[in-house]
Amino acid sequence: MSHIRLLRKAAAFKHAGPKHDDLDRAVCVIEYEEKTGRAQRPLSPKQNVRKNLDFEPLSTTALILEDRPANLPAKPAEEAQKHRQQYEEMVVQAKKRELKEAQKRKKQLEERCKLEDSIGNAVLTWNNEILPNWETMCCSRKVRELWWQGIPPSVRGKVWSLAIGNELNITHELYDICLARAKEKWRSLSTGGPEVECEDAGFSAADREASLELIKLDISRTFPSLCIFQQGGPYHDTLHSILGAYTCYRPDVGYVAQNAWQELLNMTAGKRDKGQISCCASCGTETTCCVGKELVPQVQGMSFIAAVLILNLDTADAFIAFSNLLNKPCQMAFFRVDHGLMLTYFAAFEVFFEENLPKLFAHFKKNNLTPDIYLIDWIFTLYSKSLPLDLACRVWDVFCRDGEEFLFRTALGILKLFEDILTKMDFIHIAQFLTKLPEDLLSEEFFASIAAIQMQSRNKKWAQILAALQKDNREMEKGSPSLKR
Amino acid sequence: MPFPSTGADDAFDYLFKIILIGDSNVGKTCVVHRFKTGQYNEKQQNTIGVDFTVRSMDIDGKKVKIQVWDTAGQERFRTITQSYYRSAHGAILAYDLTRRSTFESIPHWIHEIEKYGAANLVMMLIGNKSDSLDKRQVLFEDACTLAEKHGLLAVLETSAKEAQNIEEVFTLMAKELIARNTLQLHGENPPNSFSLDSRPVIASPSVEKTQCSC
Repeated sequence: MSHIRLLRKAAAFKHAGPKHDDLDRAVCVIEYEEKTGRAQRPLSPKQNVRKNLDFEPLSTTALILEDRPANLPAKPAEEAQKHRQQYEEMVVQAKKRELKEAQKRKKQLEERCKLEDSIGNAVLTWNNEILPNWETMCCSRKVRELWWQGIPPSVRGKVWSLAIGNELNITHELYDICLARAKEKWRSLSTGGPEVECEDAGFSAADREASLELIKLDISRTFPSLCIFQQGGPYHDTLHSILGAYTCYRPDVGYVAQNAWQELLNMTAGKRDKGQISCCASCGTETTCCVGKELVPQVQGMSFIAAVLILNLDTADAFIAFSNLLNKPCQMAFFRVDHGLMLTYFAAFEVFFEENLPKLFAHFKKNNLTPDIYLIDWIFTLYSKSLPLDLACRVWDVFCRDGEEFLFRTALGILKLFEDILTKMDFIHIAQFLTKLPEDLLSEEFFASIAAIQMQSRNKKWAQILAALQKDNREMEKGSPSLKR
Repeated sequence: MPFPSTGADDAFDYLFKIILIGDSNVGKTCVVHRFKTGQYNEKQQNTIGVDFTVRSMDIDGKKVKIQVWDTAGQERFRTITQSYYRSAHGAILAYDLTRRSTFESIPHWIHEIEKYGAANLVMMLIGNKSDSLDKRQVLFEDACTLAEKHGLLAVLETSAKEAQNIEEVFTLMAKELIARNTLQLHGENPPNSFSLDSRPVIASPSVEKTQCSC
């Protein structure tokens, strides 16, 4: 199954155009995983050929020393001797050149094999050692280091699922129910039938159609260059299903009227009692979410997150990961556009910005360049829109490991990587640069830059700084005299 | 308002900040893309928050630098985008002339600007997608009536796809801003520090209300 997924991804890269290296690598990983999958068997002949490429210069046959045609007088012996010598030198030169080229090719091949080996070994380690002992191993130093290197594509989805967790206890069955609800809605809209459900009272058919239209537009504008999520593309329906099901699951974040949510609760309540479906989002801590919310459209940016998950997971598992991911505090703050809380996140970010890159921080301050300018896009889409997809997936890897703080660490890593250029730019050029990052980022440099960012400020960690700022805000709101300056 | 220039090669006579607003998917990003690159990109991604573009134009021998703040149209993002109105010199309000609902939102967008923008901000209305006239749902006359009612500078029907009126939109906006700025400029202000306070500015007669024929 995972192999098919990779192939699909490879096809995606093909559409992307300039990313042929990725394509090669993806395909080459597949071959290798097939091999490691049956590691006990003898090596395939293909591998033998590839690994034992001994060089034999060939093209010297193209250089042939011939005598003069018979109708011409023969060369003098001396001249013939000289020509033979020259010929031999030419052959030696040609052989040398070929040998050099062959050695270069061999070296490249060896490097590629080495890369494949390391990916192959990583796949084995993840599959045989880490995944079966997830609970005990996921926090070990060795695993964390391997994790940082990037999760091999074939186990990526599994690791993401485990790391994101399923706090909401969503089952495949609940996904089916939500999807069925969504489909029912779409049907009633597309047939243009009478108001089928009382739940939509208060919202005109036009409103609902507009919302539906928005999902469609969103989908068509998700990774347009990959050509796989657009109408007629292989993942169009999957993306549509997940976003539709989510609007039924979280009407406050999605686009469905709140009454629909109540109905869904009623519908699933019986099953929940029997322990088949454990809990839905709003029975948990988010108590205010469904009350008095008006019809709100699908939030743009969500489709990018769903799309990246679809590329790595089966549909229902992608839905589970999607819902749980959006339920994380940082994502909740952004997708519900809780402006106050977003500003708190930006303020925490600035603490670490100043700590890590004081010069650039001062330059940004001088130019009135606030973090919202670039962070909104980055955080909303978890970098999937602004970074090349393979790099974005690696950011997601570590985001799954370290949580929200890694999103902000990545931002600082980007700023650090381009610090020299950015300090020479004015407001608009910085803003333009950061909202359209260069496409030729190298993953090694990129992650080295992130690694150099310290997420500690005066012995305080990200969570502590954020909590302190949140507390300050709350007290400000309450009007505590000690904090009013 | 400090928008310092980076160096001599980057010199300009005027610097204007223009915000581009309007409902989702009316083609705002395509308009900016056409303005910046001269090309049309059908596969435009969603704008999250705001995207930035800068382009220099030569207007009557003056070098004018235009910053375009291309905002996300979605309702949910409004609390974010509102905070960007404050320092803008001009606003381009965009609707899709093949979708009536996007035109009906325009008064709402105008209201937002009146609420959050500077008092002397110049507003223009553009009806995009004029390449699809067979699907037209908004009459040009209706747009003109609305624009006149709210005292907008001009109405233009544009096509990012077929490069209709895109240059004109920005040239017109720039000319108007220069004209207004010149009236103010005979003080001590250097030319690149276009003042951004909310003092009312006498409208310049140099730019007539321009309406395109369609």
